[in-house]
Amino acid sequence: MNVYDFTVKTKRGEDKSLADYRGKVLLIVNTATRCGFTVQLGDLQKLYDTYKDKGFEILGFPSDQFANQSPGSDDEIQQFCKLNYGVTFTMFAKGDVRGETAHPLFKYLTAQIGFQGFDMSHPIAQLLVDTLNEDFHEYMDDYPRWNFTKYLIDREGNVVARFEPTTTPDKIAADIEKLL
Amino acid sequence: MLTVFGFEGCPYCVKTKRYLESRGVEYNYRDIELDESAAAECQKISGDLTVPVTTVDGVNYVLGFDKQKIDELIASA
Repeated sequence: MNVYDFTVKTKRGEDKSLADYRGKVLLIVNTATRCGFTVQLGDLQKLYDTYKDKGFEILGFPSDQFANQSPGSDDEIQQFCKLNYGVTFTMFAKGDVRGETAHPLFKYLTAQIGFQGFDMSHPIAQLLVDTLNEDFHEYMDDYPRWNFTKYLIDREGNVVARFEPTTTPDKIAADIEKLL
Repeated sequence: MLTVFGFEGCPYCVKTKRYLESRGVEYNYRDIELDESAAAECQKISGDLTVPVTTVDGVNYVLGFDKQKIDELIASA
């Protein structure tokens, strides 16, 4: 079994088999709110622009499971949200990415590679950990714990790496290059 | 009167509105996702579609939920 066995819904509600991406390097990302970590959308777009001609695709899966929530207190640095980040990589239909209601693809990804630990040197890591401890204790498992958990898939459809929200897209460029 | 630009799913927009209400300050709320004219106006004010944007006159504005700056904006109104 690999990621090509899964079918997902496009934004228009049509079925799309991930087998259509056979032979490409994929980065599967759960995107969500347009706040806080959302700055990563812009960074993901840069990765996409850099590698798309070499057979790289980013598949974004928005989820409401973290919607209207944002890590951090009133003292947080980035206290705004952006409507449009000019993203051109593929965004699929909104759906659940964690727990019993999660899309089977995310259940599979979770089973392949569990939580990798947050990089506490990321400026927002402590706020994220505090938020999870206080309000989302049930999220402390192997499913994506927050937006922008990233799974790297090789050209054969195998899940080869997982990057937590605290790993910024620019830090995974080398891992992508190795697979291209 | 103050105007707050925001969209649904933006927690800082909610915080800004609640803060203004807690201070008894009246405001208009405009959703830049649902209302194209609001989006155009927001873009004109701040040059971006980043919210919340709180403004008195469409010239001076505060971007983001920043209590101190919002207080200053209210004081200047």
